[in-house]
Amino acid sequence: MARGGSNRSRLLLVILLVSSLLLITLDLRGVGITSGSRNVTQAVLSPIQKASADIFAPVGRFFSDVKNFGRIKAENADLKSAAARLKKESAFNADIKGQLEQLKGALDLAARGGYKVVSGRVIGRGSASTFSQTITIDVGSQSGVRRNMTVISENGLVGVVKEVTVNSAIVLLMSDPTFRIGVHLARSQSYGVLKGEGTSTYTLELLDSTGSVQVGDSLISIGSDNNRPYIPGLPVGVVTAVDHTTTTLAQTATVKSYSNLNDLGVVSVVIQAPTAAPVKPINPTPRATITILVTPTPTPDAVASAAPNPAPTPTLSKSGKLSKATK
Amino acid sequence: MTPTRLGISTVFLFVIFALQESVVSRIHLPITGFSLYLAVLICLIALEDRNGAIVMGFIGGLVLDLAPTSQSAFGQWALIFTIVGYLFSVNMENVGDFTSQPISFVLFIATACAVALTMDLVVSLMLGESVGSLSRALVVVAGNFVWTLLFTPLFLPFIRRAREVTLTSRERS
Repeated sequence: MARGGSNRSRLLLVILLVSSLLLITLDLRGVGITSGSRNVTQAVLSPIQKASADIFAPVGRFFSDVKNFGRIKAENADLKSAAARLKKESAFNADIKGQLEQLKGALDLAARGGYKVVSGRVIGRGSASTFSQTITIDVGSQSGVRRNMTVISENGLVGVVKEVTVNSAIVLLMSDPTFRIGVHLARSQSYGVLKGEGTSTYTLELLDSTGSVQVGDSLISIGSDNNRPYIPGLPVGVVTAVDHTTTTLAQTATVKSYSNLNDLGVVSVVIQAPTAAPVKPINPTPRATITILVTPTPTPDAVASAAPNPAPTPTLSKSGKLSKATK
Repeated sequence: MTPTRLGISTVFLFVIFALQESVVSRIHLPITGFSLYLAVLICLIALEDRNGAIVMGFIGGLVLDLAPTSQSAFGQWALIFTIVGYLFSVNMENVGDFTSQPISFVLFIATACAVALTMDLVVSLMLGESVGSLSRALVVVAGNFVWTLLFTPLFLPFIRRAREVTLTSRERS
């Protein structure tokens, strides 16, 4: 009996293993049934994801808030006074306001590049059961979104549309290990390929071994045929380190993306790039810099010897550059 | 395992899968995310006999293959969990049933999740899929192990109770 049961188990195991291998073969050969079943699942899940996005939005940041508890406590007192003032000023929900800011930024970027975009809310993130890095957005084919369209945020490139259903789409983030995009350096015009690493940093490989790359160089997308999957002229990232020790012929560098992929609330899908070519590269949104003006206190001697037409006072900016400020 | 219980278990797994994709995956945990679905599936596999574990592994893997965010080939998880189901049932027959010992059981589930993720990594590499840097993949596996170890005691009693409801009187005895 035991041997009969054991044989039956082995037969069952073989049948199911062969079935699994058959499914993998069908999928790798591009049979539509397998990808179709994932689309059906997405169509079923997207209403649930939309509902949970509304309900559980504050829960998502709970653990990162716990991690930064010490800092948050110190900021608490300042925030309390600020909150009282903000209550009077703003009736908007903080979450909606944040999304509005991101949307405004994305639309601003799209307007500067002359892109026609469709904006959507992020309603889901890639499952922890996989190594891929994706987000799910609440716009789909009904809004004109198709596969292989570029997705941008207020600061630049975010990723590319991987799958589309009627009212949702899955976006492959640029941090995914399978992600590749052709870029050129804004300063030296050298061409290269940017690769996702599964983390917040990226690797740039220059195509020309004699090309020049420096820390601080901005990367701009080259673009693909018919602007799909990538549109040209989009800010992608900035070089943070150059690898001088590489043993390969190609020069490599570490890059940080302009978009913060951990903080995406609203993104825009470029459904139409400008028809007029060539597209001018868009400069990333400039970050605010602090300038400190230092004015020396006048001493009695200096006052006594002061000329009738005083020269402009030298000032020192935080960046270390000496400039002149007029009184 | 009766066809009725198989059907109920499949529906139950799909509900957990929907919960994972729409709620659990939204929570930003340090290091990496936690997979409720993997933990529940391993728990159910461990509670079955050999045939039940193999079938449950295959069905559970197929449900996971339906994940729209998955980059791996369709059928890959079904293959992995069929093997996992078989290996675990053989292991339990050799070392004895430890599912009544909570600490051992939780440790087993966490280890099994890490093993399943590692197998997925190996199969992905064999199929020529890009999985990024090895160090990053190992961090994901280790992170998943830690979170599974911490969270599983919270829901394990509910999973056991839910499973007992689906058992027939013959299976209970």
